[in-house]
Amino acid sequence: MQNINNNVAEVVTVNMGPQHPSTHGVLRLVVDLDGETIVNVTPDVGYLHRGTEKLAENRTYHQFIPLTDRLDYLSPLSNNLAYCLAVEKFFGVKIPERADYMRVIYAELSRVASHLVWIATHALDIGAMTVFLYAFRERERVLDMFECATGQRMTSSWIRIGGVRDDAPEEFFRLAKSFVDEFDGFVDLYENLLTNNRIWKMRTIGIGVLNADDAQDYGTSGPLMRGAGIDFDLRRDEPYCCYDKFKFEVPTQPEGDTYARYKVRMKELREANKIVAQALENLPEGPVMTDDPRVAMPSHEDVYERMESLIRRFYLISKGFRPPKGETYQGIEAPKGELGFYIVSEGEERPYRLKIRAPSYVNLGVLNHMAQGHMLADLVAIIGTNDVVLGEIDR
Amino acid sequence: MNFTELTTQLEQLFPGRLNCYTQFGCNFVRVKDHAVYKDVLRALKEKFSFKYMVDVVATHWPKKTDKFEITNNLFSIENKLRVFVKLSRPDHVFPTITDIWKGANFMEREEYDLMGIVFEGHPDLRRVLLPDFFEGHPLRKDFPLKERKWFNKTDEQRLGIKFTK
Repeated sequence: MQNINNNVAEVVTVNMGPQHPSTHGVLRLVVDLDGETIVNVTPDVGYLHRGTEKLAENRTYHQFIPLTDRLDYLSPLSNNLAYCLAVEKFFGVKIPERADYMRVIYAELSRVASHLVWIATHALDIGAMTVFLYAFRERERVLDMFECATGQRMTSSWIRIGGVRDDAPEEFFRLAKSFVDEFDGFVDLYENLLTNNRIWKMRTIGIGVLNADDAQDYGTSGPLMRGAGIDFDLRRDEPYCCYDKFKFEVPTQPEGDTYARYKVRMKELREANKIVAQALENLPEGPVMTDDPRVAMPSHEDVYERMESLIRRFYLISKGFRPPKGETYQGIEAPKGELGFYIVSEGEERPYRLKIRAPSYVNLGVLNHMAQGHMLADLVAIIGTNDVVLGEIDR
Repeated sequence: MNFTELTTQLEQLFPGRLNCYTQFGCNFVRVKDHAVYKDVLRALKEKFSFKYMVDVVATHWPKKTDKFEITNNLFSIENKLRVFVKLSRPDHVFPTITDIWKGANFMEREEYDLMGIVFEGHPDLRRVLLPDFFEGHPLRKDFPLKERKWFNKTDEQRLGIKFTK
């Protein structure tokens, strides 16, 4: 009380998390407050630390695929894709066209699923309950599709080095087509609830502003960067899979605040939907796994009939394959930004060093810069707009 | 600008001090003289528009003379070009690049935590993922995979949790 009378600022330290719902998992934020204004935010991560990079050095290349699912568990198939593309770069494997299309479908549906969780929880943090219920209802349908195609809802490990594990059943295409037709209507529904909502606008416009220079300097990517007005998307600027065959736009917003990032992600939902629709329409026939014997597992039919295939399969399972000596990197446009795998190979069955470039981790590094000078209640909105998943941060 | 043009221009600026090569579709610039390391990075950012800082990777090579290696992953949005700048050192002390890219702060802290690399001049070099009293750096090659005796008695008391069996 005395301090207030003398107009002397007193900085109070407050702990947010680790288990607060708005911290999206186990993120602890040490917040220095002057009254209700944020002076400094120190994110404290490490509660989930599982040592994924160390585990990768002690597993064969195939054995590491299930661990990539556990990184960003809201879009497991994108993580599979980034890792498999990085390993394939060592061999220069030619992937069958149908597998490429299936990968694009899975990656874009993952983006839809991930962004739906984002809009649901972000709106819930700020106080909009209805969007949460609607968005999760639609996400269930995407997960149903994944269950139909891969047998798993969350940790599917479906994309393999050299293609995808298996072709999807007819049921998957039927579900996907009906979903794609209806999805724009669902996005309209969320936008009706939020875009012109006065409370939503007041809570998001001008909050957590990140300008274009800082967005690049801090290494943020994905919607954070596009929300700051930078026209950058790895799908278009460093094409992988067969994204150059699809027509889509890269949405940008110049403002760089929470509202701008919301708009970018809403447009991304529509664009992702457009890509899935195109991929389903032009899906070529053919195999979904390469026949390159260096990486591909022989099929079960082959194994039952031919001795060589049996030996090859046994060798790949027990020993794994050996990429040539060298280093390579592949980044993809994951829902949260640039997800990349940097692999150092010494010509052995196991990676010598595997570094995961996790978008959530880098996006958390900019949190302090974005939050300074705002109110404590705005911090909840800023964490939400950064779209962090702690599985990816802690690795 | 593609990588060949960048190579010729960099060679003119730093003659004989760089080794530029392409491997598996990735472009690498190895800095042979560590005195020009930060000049190379500054030139890349200011002259060749590598403004987007992607990542910092550290690698441990216990069998080589240059035991530690840092790879900076940079991307130029203007030229749509990705470049990896490498520097090897016999010891674990590297110059920081936080004064060039602010984002390197968080990335270098991770490498300090897991690989034990000291970045000279880093403003806030603390552990990120592991507790402050953790001994050793897990991603070094001499750190065993199945090491379980991480916490001692005082740490248990400090955290109020029992870790040992």
